[in-house]
Amino acid sequence: MLLEKTEEVKKDFLKDLNSITDDSSLENIRIKYLGRNGIVSGLFDRLKEIPKEEKPEAGKNLNLLRNELTSKIEELKSSLGGGKQKGETELDLSLPGRKYCIGSKHILTQTLDEIKSIFRGMGFSVYTGPELESDYYNFEALNFPPDHPARDMQDTFFVSHDFLLRTHTSPVQIRTMEKMPPPVRTIMPGRVYRNEAVSARSYCMFHQVEGLYVDEDVTFAELKGTLVSFAHQFYGEDLKYRFRPSFFPFTEPSAEMDITCFICNGSGCKVCKHSGWLEILGCGMVDPNVFEYVNYDSEKYTGYAFGMGIERIAMLKYGITDIRVFFENDFRFLKQF
Amino acid sequence: MKISLKWIKDYVDLKGISTKEIVDKLTMSGLEVEDVFDQNEAYKGFIVGFIEEKEKHPNADRLSVCKVNDGNESLQVICGAPNVEKGQKVVFAQIGTIIPKGNFEIKKAKIRGVESNGMICAEDELELSNDHSGIMVLDNKLKAGTSIIKALKLNDVILEIAITPNRPDALSHIGVARDLAAIFNRKLSIPKVNLKESKSNIKSAASIEILDTENCPRYSGRVIKNVTIKESPEWLKNRISSIGLRPRNNVVDITNFVMYECGQPLHAFDLKMLGGHKIVVQSTKKASVFTTLDSKERKLPAGSLMICDDKKPVAIAGVMGGENSEITNDTKNILIESAYFNPSSIRKTAKLLGLSTDASYRFERGTDPGNTVYAAERTAQLISELAGGEILSGTLDVYPNKIKEKKIKLRFNRIEKILGYKISNTKIKSILKKLGIKITSELKDAVNVTIPTYRPDVDREIDVIEEIARIAGYDNVPTVSRINVTLEVKHDETSFSNKVREYSNALGLSEMINNPLQPESFSKLTGIPIKIANPQNLDMEFLRTSLLPGALNIVSKNIKKGEKDLALFETGNVFNLNSETSKVSSFDDFKEEEKLIFVLTGEKIGREWYEGASAYDFYDLKGIVNSFINKLSLDYFTNDSYYSPGNSIYEYYFTRNYKNVVVGQGGKVSSTVLKQFDISQDVFCFVLDFNALKSIKAEKKQFFEPLKYPKVFRDFSFIFDTKIRFEEVRNFILQNSSNLLKDVTIFDIFESNDLGLNKKSMAFQLEYYDENRTLTEDEVEKDFLNLIKLVSKKFNAQLRGK
Repeated sequence: MLLEKTEEVKKDFLKDLNSITDDSSLENIRIKYLGRNGIVSGLFDRLKEIPKEEKPEAGKNLNLLRNELTSKIEELKSSLGGGKQKGETELDLSLPGRKYCIGSKHILTQTLDEIKSIFRGMGFSVYTGPELESDYYNFEALNFPPDHPARDMQDTFFVSHDFLLRTHTSPVQIRTMEKMPPPVRTIMPGRVYRNEAVSARSYCMFHQVEGLYVDEDVTFAELKGTLVSFAHQFYGEDLKYRFRPSFFPFTEPSAEMDITCFICNGSGCKVCKHSGWLEILGCGMVDPNVFEYVNYDSEKYTGYAFGMGIERIAMLKYGITDIRVFFENDFRFLKQF
Repeated sequence: MKISLKWIKDYVDLKGISTKEIVDKLTMSGLEVEDVFDQNEAYKGFIVGFIEEKEKHPNADRLSVCKVNDGNESLQVICGAPNVEKGQKVVFAQIGTIIPKGNFEIKKAKIRGVESNGMICAEDELELSNDHSGIMVLDNKLKAGTSIIKALKLNDVILEIAITPNRPDALSHIGVARDLAAIFNRKLSIPKVNLKESKSNIKSAASIEILDTENCPRYSGRVIKNVTIKESPEWLKNRISSIGLRPRNNVVDITNFVMYECGQPLHAFDLKMLGGHKIVVQSTKKASVFTTLDSKERKLPAGSLMICDDKKPVAIAGVMGGENSEITNDTKNILIESAYFNPSSIRKTAKLLGLSTDASYRFERGTDPGNTVYAAERTAQLISELAGGEILSGTLDVYPNKIKEKKIKLRFNRIEKILGYKISNTKIKSILKKLGIKITSELKDAVNVTIPTYRPDVDREIDVIEEIARIAGYDNVPTVSRINVTLEVKHDETSFSNKVREYSNALGLSEMINNPLQPESFSKLTGIPIKIANPQNLDMEFLRTSLLPGALNIVSKNIKKGEKDLALFETGNVFNLNSETSKVSSFDDFKEEEKLIFVLTGEKIGREWYEGASAYDFYDLKGIVNSFINKLSLDYFTNDSYYSPGNSIYEYYFTRNYKNVVVGQGGKVSSTVLKQFDISQDVFCFVLDFNALKSIKAEKKQFFEPLKYPKVFRDFSFIFDTKIRFEEVRNFILQNSSNLLKDVTIFDIFESNDLGLNKKSMAFQLEYYDENRTLTEDEVEKDFLNLIKLVSKKFNAQLRGK
């Protein structure tokens, strides 16, 4: 009996629902059926009239009915909204978000990170060394004899007769080879100093990455292959390059690597001094005299070394024309990258 | 070094080879061409002009108004040169001409109100020399309107070549010609010397003695008598000026010419001025003063190598001649010096004098000891041809210990081992021959060679390999496409600093990089600084002793640019002497340490719709330091100490300690320090010691199972005396609670009149849990109530609310 009544109420309810137009008519229906004195409540009251053994079953049915009606109403309520679109919020979503700030790495650090990851991928370790160096590590063990004009290639800041601010990262080559026997395959990033007048093109301090690989059967051909791979990964796969003879006391033969000027595509511009080429690094085969200093057998082992300036690379890559901006640390510059 | 292509063609035939090819090949074989100056291009539009009239400029004392005939018409031109005169033939730049110096175009212009239609040029404007003392006055026979390319034979191509220190042999036209001959497989022809000697012998006219044979291994001389000092002929003047030198007189020009021809520096003495007609080469025993031919007094230290006569010094060996013996217009008899000096001796003297000359530049790199006699004879011949006179027979040549040509064994397989590809034996031998390297014997797998004395840099087998590689072409070395990677453990000594940078970025800080060279006032502030012996200026005289002063300097500069809200960090090395009296003579005398600094200043948040503006304060600094240390997993090992009042740097500060050692320190920078940097807003800094952080062995990261049982929280707040500090209360609670209490945090603190004088309220949240079971309300409540009692009693605190 109660069961039939339940079905009937359900039918009436669905019928009533067809007539609703807005929130308030829906609310009226809710009160009619689910309100404190509503129809469903009335049905619950009638539970006491039925026999005890039927009660659980009937109670369960009434609960089901109440749940079904409630969820129908909720469903309609959210689809109607108070004059709002379906799902619309009261928040003003056009307000700006709250500020959260992630800091930036200096652009030189970012450039170095990129270089590091390329060489790490080719099996290189990363070693570092001190900036305040001895003459021995900075010059002598790198085959710069005392009173040799090669020392003029690098204007040096001295703190005493035998100690100086390193002029290149090459002393870390010596320090690394002193620490271990071959094979040594490592890059050595760091800060270096040159006693040169400060201008848009040169600063008294800058950063380099040095590379060194010593093993049996390391050749100039492998040096070329490795550096060309680096250049392709860093500057782009279609660049042209050339290696031309140069001179560094600690390598023999020595070379400089140029790539096609990517600003003018090789046709000649101010940046490449109208040559169409940009010098990006110096390199060569480790001089046997250097091996003498670290007690490596130069008959058995050969090796190559290379070095590049990070500022120069970053200037070319990001179109920076004045090296001083790196060290002015204008907050707007730092946040740009 | 400047090389004239016209000149170089005297020694090597370059027919059929374009300038571009010459430039490319020179660069690719190690003589890098940095600039090409093609006179045919550069001097287009310059013509011979005739000055028909000259009058004073009506509005300017130093300017003249000239009428210049360009071969067609008369043009009004303003000229500022003091030497411009009516009737001169001059170099005239027409409208539209590009002036090489400064690369600008000549346009019709009004100069002080008077129209000017071109420019009368000085040598420097044409880049013929640095001379800007007056305009060039040309031979009056030249026809007005003729191009100067034709009239002055300015149809050369000048190459600027960067010669690396290992290639003294290339510091001359013959030297570069030798490389070109090898590259293009052409013949090198060195001018032959044919001397017409007089009957009288040189020995009767002069003598040479070397007392310091170590620093002067060889000294050769020739004597020419009865010369006439005059202007050089056109061809010689052209040669000399084409490479940027100033023609002086025939004898001086010839010595310069021969030096740029074959690389041997020469000096001509006025024989009459040499006491005893004698040359004595010796090192000075004590410091002395000497006047060089540029009329400057030079202070020479003891041990300087000097050329002397029988009484006095007459030249600084290898650097510059003396005023007392130089060639003058009256000179009749000449002694030509052609010597070989020890490179390091010349370099020392030149460095000490701060004087680098064409001669010293060559001697300190190493000239050819085998070439002195040739150079002296070549000079003598040219002098007799261009200045008349008789060449006395014989050469004075003191060469007690002949420098022998080096002998080297070159193994073919070694070439391949270094370069990574095989060059045929025939090719190797042909390259050696073209470079003047003699093969003395051939073995099955090697050759024995001797190295000419003009290549001091070629000393060992590897040096010969380089010579072969560069002439064969680096382009021909293959580029391998595959490498072997050895499997030893790879290290990255920068991995810790990478982490540090990432965490700092995540905390909102941006990285700066400062110059470690700074003024004394900065570095004295924070340590015992190391002085640079040869600083550029006082602003960069010392190394930084801490990252702090440099950072404050950057803060100050940014504020001045309007960037007032900054969150920065830097990592870098700082340098301190071990004691005030230390000198840096070993690595034990100073410390170089890597540090990290955090810097906060200005507003953390500006005015926003969701929050009012708020400035960075001490607790931001502390929070950032804590998060950073926590991220490094070092928080369990370290604790804080607090200092107020602070020290000379900080108004108040805290330190992070590890086993009683301070690993970091920072706080609010004192206003006295800020004043020094002209900063008037609060700045908060913290400096951490990188190595200390690195050396604390962080606990191995282990997985902890998340708590399975619920936590129970209790809150209470008390009124305390204001002097009671949070941490005291927290520690007391933790020490006196049951072990179920795991943490105590503060969630509210305030002072108010309602609480009473010198009173404050602090509200705490207590966190209870057990890893192995659910807690009962009773056990928590029991501990909580006990704590209320204990805290009240211990701190004389009054429980609020409840």
